[in-house]
Amino acid sequence: MARKLLRTTIAVCWVATISVAQQDSTARERLEELKASVESLQESSTEVKNIVDALRKIKVSGYIEAQYRSTDIVNQTFSIGQFSGGAFPSNQKSQFQIRRGRLKVAYDNSLAQMVLQMDFLPTGFTLKDAYLSLTEPWLQSFGLRMGVFDRPFGYEISYSSSSRESPERSRMFQSLFPGERDLGAKLFFTPQIGNLMWLRADVGLFNGSGANANEFDNFKDIIGHVAAQFPFEDAGAEIDLGVSGYFGNVRNNTKFLFQNGEPAAGVKGFTVDSSLTNIDDGVTRRYLGMDAQLYYDVPSIGGAIVRGEYIAGVQPGTATTTVSPSAQPTTALYKRDFSGWYINYVQNIGDKEQVVVKYDVHDPNTNVEASNFTPNSNLTVADIKYSTLGFGFIHHWDANIRFVLYYEIVKNEKLDAAKIPTASSLFPYTDDVRDNVLTFRIQYKF
Amino acid sequence: MKQSIMMFGILLFAFTALRSEEKITVKGSDTMVILAQRWAERYMAEHKDVSIQVTGGGSGTGISALINGTTDICNASRPMKPAERDKLNERYGTRGVEIKCALDGLALYVNEANPVNELTMQQIKDIYQGKISNWKEVGGKDQKIILYSRENNSGTYVYFKDNVLMGEDFSASAQNMPGTAAVVNAIAKDKAGVGYGGSAYAKGIKEVKVKADDKAPAYAPTMENIKSGNYPVSRFLFMYVKNKPTGVLKQYIDWTLSDAGQKIVGEVGYFPIR
Repeated sequence: MARKLLRTTIAVCWVATISVAQQDSTARERLEELKASVESLQESSTEVKNIVDALRKIKVSGYIEAQYRSTDIVNQTFSIGQFSGGAFPSNQKSQFQIRRGRLKVAYDNSLAQMVLQMDFLPTGFTLKDAYLSLTEPWLQSFGLRMGVFDRPFGYEISYSSSSRESPERSRMFQSLFPGERDLGAKLFFTPQIGNLMWLRADVGLFNGSGANANEFDNFKDIIGHVAAQFPFEDAGAEIDLGVSGYFGNVRNNTKFLFQNGEPAAGVKGFTVDSSLTNIDDGVTRRYLGMDAQLYYDVPSIGGAIVRGEYIAGVQPGTATTTVSPSAQPTTALYKRDFSGWYINYVQNIGDKEQVVVKYDVHDPNTNVEASNFTPNSNLTVADIKYSTLGFGFIHHWDANIRFVLYYEIVKNEKLDAAKIPTASSLFPYTDDVRDNVLTFRIQYKF
Repeated sequence: MKQSIMMFGILLFAFTALRSEEKITVKGSDTMVILAQRWAERYMAEHKDVSIQVTGGGSGTGISALINGTTDICNASRPMKPAERDKLNERYGTRGVEIKCALDGLALYVNEANPVNELTMQQIKDIYQGKISNWKEVGGKDQKIILYSRENNSGTYVYFKDNVLMGEDFSASAQNMPGTAAVVNAIAKDKAGVGYGGSAYAKGIKEVKVKADDKAPAYAPTMENIKSGNYPVSRFLFMYVKNKPTGVLKQYIDWTLSDAGQKIVGEVGYFPIR
């Protein structure tokens, strides 16, 4: 009996041991399966993270500026021209328009960047930026940029339209650097750490014909800008100062070169040099500029900004325009001494509101004044001096949207009516042309 | 023309009048998020009429938010870069106001089971650049080193890159984690892992002592060592505001710098500045 009981007990224990062992084996298998699943998930997660990390280097931004503009009278095309947001179409003194529709894509790999920016408008689209930038890895201060990008001259050129308080740049910049950009390469020095963080410098070689045009001559233009920042932390202020230079040439397609002089005794205007050597010769394009920006945190009101720039130099143009050419001028070249400046005051009121006042002057021919315009002087509309007083109000609705209301009072120098025949194209400028412009703009930026 | 000016003037005034509410928002450094939350909780408990909203996202994200106007205070575990100052200047006409609010030792984490107790700055640099890839090369087990890092919008990442890697790049094998807490969690589970972050987070892992060079003594990221400047990887933690603070904002910032606010700095694991 006892032996039978012992045998039964051993049998039960054996069966139980086998069962536990089987269960243990199943649990171990399940654990292995789970481990494999977790490892597989980890691998997938690493793969997804790598993809996300790569995508994070792609930065997309852009902005749209929709606006309503109005001017004083219809068909006032002879004065505004390309300025103040462009000429008004025939028979219109007001219009809705898309001023800018920008989309920018950048790939930023820390020390190497690639940027593409397009401007999409109802009239078509144009390339604005297309460049690559490389920064050296040791000091991370020196770099090379090549492609289409802002010319390194002064302050306002590289101050983005999406941030600028006035709807347009100063008249002198629109005339000297239409489109702001050019094709070329520049070296830059922008230290991010160390004792020289207050200094920036850029110098480059450019075609000189603008962003969307092929080079039309064999001259390359040198452009450079050096700027220094002087912060006064305790006073809540900063002063930035800069100097710029532009040294280039524009090819003369003719043997005629007009320069400031006396075409007749006692008459100021242009004299012509008709030497055959003028053909293919480069006509000097040279600007020197200085810029200053003052920032001051006005207690209980907000930051105040005062910006100013002055440029003087020699500008090659034609009889009818002093705007820098984007294609080979086929007519005679005119060499004019010019000057221009602006001063811009912006007062922040809290975080949302800004009040802005701006005054700019562009004198495309500093050798003449209003009284020199006569039928014998060879002077044209391109030689008329302009000043623009603008003032406006900006409301930042949120991080993306801002509203701008801005009014520009555009004044041309008044020519002497007694010296200008009524049939002359100069006659409208014997008075101030009625070309003031009101702009109401909504901008969405992301 | 006059009618147009009046019409748009009225329109703008209406838009402006519709939007005029005030509250304190705090955004930025993940390293500082626990500190900022504790400050906010304690301050709101004492000032029932004030609402403070704290979010992380990284120092870079916080600075962008300050520039975009979507935060009142930006927390940053690194100083603002010149380009960021420029953007602030362009938009608001100010360089921003920098407030040093705490000291932090940037700790190097390893798993508690890792026998390595100290490293030189050069060894840390070599580890994070992949030049040292096995723990046995620095006195540990024969085990491949697994690198944990932060994402590039993190101030901790930028500080580590600038001050430990001396501006050079991380090894491509470094895994970028979304926050210091994620780094700590990963290393607590990974015996071969190494990571870096604020010493306030160092729970469940071991902090390695750091030597400036071969001959220098090794220091742990303790208050004495950080305040004395002996610990080689220490940094200030900052708050940035756009303008000189006034009103409720000023009262709150003054409080964070007061004895009560700085006591919380110590409670969270950082080091008071006074």
